Amino acid sequence: MEAQKSATMTPRTNVASGRRSLGFEKTNLRYTPGQLTALRIPTSRRKPNTRNDIDPEQLAYIANIEWKLSYVTPLYKFRHTQLVLYSKQLSAFIVAEKQKGIAVEVGPEMGFKVVFSVVLGMTETDEDAETVFIKICSKPAFAVEGSAVKVVWSGWFTCVNGNLDYMRSLPSDFVSLPLFCTNGPESITALVKSWFTRMFDCYFGPLSLNSSILQWLGALWTECHPASNIRYLKLAWNLPTLPPLDISYTVHPQDAWNLWSSIRQNDSMEDGISIEEVRRFMKGLESHFFRHFRMHLSAGMLTRICTSLGSAHCDGTIKITGTQYITPVLMLLTECAQLKMPI
Amino acid sequence: MDAAAEALLRQTVRRIPSSKLNGVLGRWGCLSEAQLGSLESMQPKWLLCDNLISLCRENDLSMKHVAEVEMLYCIENPKRGMWYAYQMVETDDEAQSLELMHFRERFKAHLKDLIGHVSIKLKRHQDESVWIRIAWGDNFNRPNHLKPTYVMHHLQTPYVFVSGLTNKHKPLLFQALVLAAGYSSIKNAHLNGRCITALRDLLMRQYKQVFPSSCPKPLKESNPLPNPNIENEHAKLVEHKQRAAAEAFGYEDPPKLERATYKLETKYREHGNESLNGRDEPFRGVVKFTSSNLLESLKYCITSGMASTPLTPLLSSITQKGRNYFVIRDKGPSIASDTLGPDH
Repeated sequence: MEAQKSATMTPRTNVASGRRSLGFEKTNLRYTPGQLTALRIPTSRRKPNTRNDIDPEQLAYIANIEWKLSYVTPLYKFRHTQLVLYSKQLSAFIVAEKQKGIAVEVGPEMGFKVVFSVVLGMTETDEDAETVFIKICSKPAFAVEGSAVKVVWSGWFTCVNGNLDYMRSLPSDFVSLPLFCTNGPESITALVKSWFTRMFDCYFGPLSLNSSILQWLGALWTECHPASNIRYLKLAWNLPTLPPLDISYTVHPQDAWNLWSSIRQNDSMEDGISIEEVRRFMKGLESHFFRHFRMHLSAGMLTRICTSLGSAHCDGTIKITGTQYITPVLMLLTECAQLKMPI
Repeated sequence: MDAAAEALLRQTVRRIPSSKLNGVLGRWGCLSEAQLGSLESMQPKWLLCDNLISLCRENDLSMKHVAEVEMLYCIENPKRGMWYAYQMVETDDEAQSLELMHFRERFKAHLKDLIGHVSIKLKRHQDESVWIRIAWGDNFNRPNHLKPTYVMHHLQTPYVFVSGLTNKHKPLLFQALVLAAGYSSIKNAHLNGRCITALRDLLMRQYKQVFPSSCPKPLKESNPLPNPNIENEHAKLVEHKQRAAAEAFGYEDPPKLERATYKLETKYREHGNESLNGRDEPFRGVVKFTSSNLLESLKYCITSGMASTPLTPLLSSITQKGRNYFVIRDKGPSIASDTLGPDH
């Protein structure tokens, strides 16, 4: 059933013909350092819109959980129609690794179940591959019929508004799902990654969020304030003093929005946000801080940005609470992940 | 020796490092020399604990005695969670000549008037501070010794330091304290931290701000082409910054604070943003500084140039006013400088 449904949603990009070859052996992929000249973080973005067409039940798996971010190179011969098979194979792989004596914290004497599924509708363009969600549940040895299963690990691959030029340049048989989010024990994450690496000849790397991305997120969330109260805008910096100094600045939501709209109204771009506006917004907050404390926040690093719609940390973790604004966030993260792609 | 006393003894022994355990038990004075000797170098800790409990049973010790050993350790190592400072106000003359015996009796009597089931212990430490340990109970429960409130107070001063106090018991403790010490009320001193000696030093101005006549020379880097003029200018600048840092936070080892909080209720006033500058409402926000040693980090900020000199009064107020919570408001409608908000 699952497989049939997803078959219709398999992006056409995979079978399209007549695209330019990149001219490298696919085995070289993992050895190529993440350098890319064609892709850039855009200097303007669309204003965030609310989304209601994603299944709320599936969104619930994603919301309110802190995800660790990784990027992953395109998956070779990944098929959305084969998810049931993948579930069995990954499950067998974990059992085999466990028997080899590698510590896996799925539970001491418990069985477990791997479920692959598709989150429909988490795309922006027709060329985006559908999001794949993986869940590993523990099955107690003496489970009572109907008792709730415990999810010990979950992760998902997604691509929202991926760069079209890049995706079209991929050879056929490659599926680009550049953003990989995980939650659960590191040991299981490592196992899942190693299975994907072997199965689909891909490469995983950590995805950290630089201050420019965090600033974008802060502005995108603040823009949502009139429609959905953000309750607070919290920015945190770390200054490299001895011992290290953490500074957090929590701004009243209405005042943050007033500052943002005063910067916005000068600009003519009606439904877009430019990087210039984002910079001016952050500059405005930093200079208000400087007027009081005469400290240069630019000497440190922006480490965290939070509102009630979500939070993001520079080490590459993100939590999305306001699921109606999930697409702009994922678009941004997809861009970040694609910047890491070797070319 | 009932189950509650046993639980407290186990918790206390768990908390004390093995190296200090024999010393603490020796000062406790409830065990004989021979008994102490039998416990010495007993490993592992749980075995020692089991033996200690059987010795306590032998000596017929009760909760009263066990609470004492916990208090003894806490006074010597007061690093258990956050300490909050309070200041008593409007003294009568009596407070200046209050004696410990008198304070002890009055405090116990007042608190027991207010709440029935309560266990109070009072002790004077070597440095003249008075330590109070309170285990709270209620009408239906015996005092909970596992979560006691600790109070530290120097007689003849208005300051009180409290740790482990719930909101429920706050009014009871404060009323008993104020009545026993001869004051009329008590207020929040807006100072908290994990290190009680730092809080005390800051509030009682025992911490010396040193104004050095000579600064230690900055480390000279080996430079292939030295330029005396540049070095001279540089050295002057470094010296200036170090002096500014020392004047604000002391020369060596500033008191150990973990955080400072500023509630900003000032207007937004930046160039090129007329629509916000014209508003009467303040630009609200909260700024928190956190570090394992906040004043040391701030000093580093100044000497390294991450903070500009002259230092803002907002930061130097931490040591000058002995507070780490401030509300910042604009002084008047037309005055540009910041002011520290009124106490509340």
